[in-house]
Amino acid sequence: MSRRSDLARYLASRLALAPVMLWLIASLVFLLLRVAPGDPIDALLGTRAPEAARAALRAQLGLDRPLAEQYGRFLGHLLQGDLGQSLTNGEPVTRLIQASLPASLELGVVALLLAAIVGLTVGFSGIARPEGRLDLAGRLYGIGTYALPPFWAAMVVQLVFAVWLGWLPVGGRFPATLMPPQGTGFYLLDSLRAGDWQQLGGSLRHLVLPAATLGLLLSGIFTNALRLNLRRALGSDYVEAARSRGLSERRVVLHHALPNALLPVLTITGITVASLIGGALLIEVTYSWPGIAFRLQEAIAQRDYPLVQGIVVVVAALVVLVSVLVDLVVALLDPRIRF
Amino acid sequence: MVASFATLLLALPLLAACQPTRSSQSLIVATKSRIDSLDPVQASRIGVMQVLSGLGDPLYAIDSNGRLEPRLATALPRLSDDGLRARIPLRRGVLFHDGTRFDAAAMAFSLNRFKAIGTLGYQLGERVESVRVIAPYEIELLLKRPFTPLPRLLSAIFLTPVSPTAYQRHRDKPLNDRFVGTGPYALAFFGGQQQRLTPWPRYWGKRPANAGIDLVTLSNSTALFGALRSGEVDLLLNSGLEIDHQQALHRDAAAGRLREAIGPSQEITLVSLLSDQPPLNRTVLRQAVAHSLDRATIVRRVTLGLRSPQRQLLPPSLPGSDPTAWPAYDPAGARALYRQAGYCRGRVLTLPLTYRSDIPTDRLFALTWQAQLRRDLGDCVTLEVNGMEATTAYSQLDKGALTMLFYDWIGDYPDAENFLMPLLSCSKAEGERCLKGNSVLGGSFWTAPGLEAELQRSSQLDGPERVALLVAIQRRVAAASPYLPVWLSAPTAWGGLGVSQPRFDGSGRVLLGELRRLPAAAGARLP
Repeated sequence: MSRRSDLARYLASRLALAPVMLWLIASLVFLLLRVAPGDPIDALLGTRAPEAARAALRAQLGLDRPLAEQYGRFLGHLLQGDLGQSLTNGEPVTRLIQASLPASLELGVVALLLAAIVGLTVGFSGIARPEGRLDLAGRLYGIGTYALPPFWAAMVVQLVFAVWLGWLPVGGRFPATLMPPQGTGFYLLDSLRAGDWQQLGGSLRHLVLPAATLGLLLSGIFTNALRLNLRRALGSDYVEAARSRGLSERRVVLHHALPNALLPVLTITGITVASLIGGALLIEVTYSWPGIAFRLQEAIAQRDYPLVQGIVVVVAALVVLVSVLVDLVVALLDPRIRF
Repeated sequence: MVASFATLLLALPLLAACQPTRSSQSLIVATKSRIDSLDPVQASRIGVMQVLSGLGDPLYAIDSNGRLEPRLATALPRLSDDGLRARIPLRRGVLFHDGTRFDAAAMAFSLNRFKAIGTLGYQLGERVESVRVIAPYEIELLLKRPFTPLPRLLSAIFLTPVSPTAYQRHRDKPLNDRFVGTGPYALAFFGGQQQRLTPWPRYWGKRPANAGIDLVTLSNSTALFGALRSGEVDLLLNSGLEIDHQQALHRDAAAGRLREAIGPSQEITLVSLLSDQPPLNRTVLRQAVAHSLDRATIVRRVTLGLRSPQRQLLPPSLPGSDPTAWPAYDPAGARALYRQAGYCRGRVLTLPLTYRSDIPTDRLFALTWQAQLRRDLGDCVTLEVNGMEATTAYSQLDKGALTMLFYDWIGDYPDAENFLMPLLSCSKAEGERCLKGNSVLGGSFWTAPGLEAELQRSSQLDGPERVALLVAIQRRVAAASPYLPVWLSAPTAWGGLGVSQPRFDGSGRVLLGELRRLPAAAGARLP
């Protein structure tokens, strides 16, 4: 069977498994939320609302129904693409996710670009002289940024650049005195489309600190991954063969070793993207960035069951999608991959 | 590598130079409370109430001296002889932000809507049977029982009227991202993290002194603190600000580097004592615990002196306040009581104290009290402290699972009734054991014969007679100590020198309309 049909079969199996995976995740979240202590009614009404008011609200929200009925209703709606309504304000969960997800994606994409540029540059910079000072600095940088506690790093960056120096805003996504751009929810994109430079500047100023912090923290992964894979590649037979053919070291590194070393980095990028979609919580909380992770944290605190379920399902779907895409890209780039 | 970092660092001041200039003279007010809805029927949090106080008007308001004043009403309610009917005359010439007229029909629509679908709808529904229009500018409330604090209840901003025209399609569901009321500001923009309020040019009352208010939500204390220090916001509300940040701002204010305003408190922090199970089912032990709390030391250590020790269940600004109802710290008296209960002579009482782990001050309180008891009464009592997430703790409270819980109570409107009833009311009891009612929900399970009747009577009396009864109730509760008031938190606001001195109304809300930018110091950054 050809490699292309193998790939197609592999992708088809991954995509076919995706709904099963999503069902398992959705069911697990549904059950865990109900098993976990705490009551959305307490979060909404406080502890001392009269029993009648609590019972009425419980009935209104459908929380008085048997668990199996609630589960069946949840799954039925999920199959129709309906994630339900937030218990906190009655808004459709899809609308709330649409409002938060672009913020997280925008932050994640910019942070990832920064991480890749800085991390790969640092990782590559020591390659000319292995174990030299630059290489050692790169290694320390990789370990150091990877080991930094995100909340601590974020607070230090915030204190230095926003509070002490006053160069950039302490938090939020957009200047309070301007109207946010309308459109996709990706403020950089929307401001560019509108050609509004003031909006673009405002968005950028608010994006710099969270994206730089997140990018800095992630860059160590890229640095370490490239250093290790590049060194392995430079010691391999095909590189020796290239050198023995008289190719310049520059050509050997850039044309032979680097492309091979970058393939594992691509896989790591995929994993990082997946974790970024829902995992930039500490950065979002520190910088008051109204993203999906921040929203999820609030929803958990308020025991907003439909919102938590909805966010987890959407994030899980995105993670599945990204991982399939990365598999596809790696397979297309590396003919050695077999399925 | 060095070059890339240098470039990055150089780019930051360049971006900073692109800082957008303030587009108007509007003021930026920051708070921690995220706002998901501006519909009064959804309002239950302090942050939302603050915004609504700028967008809407209540029927009555409580001024900064604690006096009731009519706002959309023109006079206090006229009560029928049996006290069950209250007629309220309404102001003429008031327009909603959509240009429609405010009248009795609009007020009745709003009250009925709130009663039907309001999160706090029970506050009205428990007391008001129906609302009737009896004249174009007069409504009548049919009460379920005589209720003298009615004007104070009607001063709650969540009862602000909304335009029936604008809310016609949202009669039975919330309208989250709009607000069409009668207040001095109209809502120009609504986002979860940002709201813009612009002065309503056809406002019936005094026009705001500023060009508008931009409200922003910042998610943590450091960001809020930093935003004020860096001059990014003009005014900061203390909700969600950690105590050390509050102290730093307080010091700045004392040094004249910023302005500080303290409002009337509506928040009591207390410990509930589970009185229907051993060991605290013994009154003598609850009294011993009540004598064991060194509030002065704890408040100084935990809240850095920013809160006031509290020995009653009512805020001191309310009629019926009795500042010395609960016993003062008395280790000798406490020891005698522990001994009377059979402890101290080689037998140490272990008391589990649960605190809300997501609130930093609570943990400090628990640890400080634990240390204070170890120091002063270590041979008699020891505290076993456990942290529990707030929502989880609340759900355990009425199950009798928590021997002692440290938490707070915030009144929805400033009246004694809204502090005593939610903690003490009991609809079904067996002796001193409450089986059903607010006392169960409050975690004490305590009541006393005749107490419920006294509580009910207190909300039917007025004047000195009511004050005397409230004092008597507090004394009676203090003697049994099912709760232990600890401290009182007052709302605080800090403003930069570029803004006029902020002021609070009697309900604990900053008077947004009074704020104005001072040209001389505009944009000043704190040193």
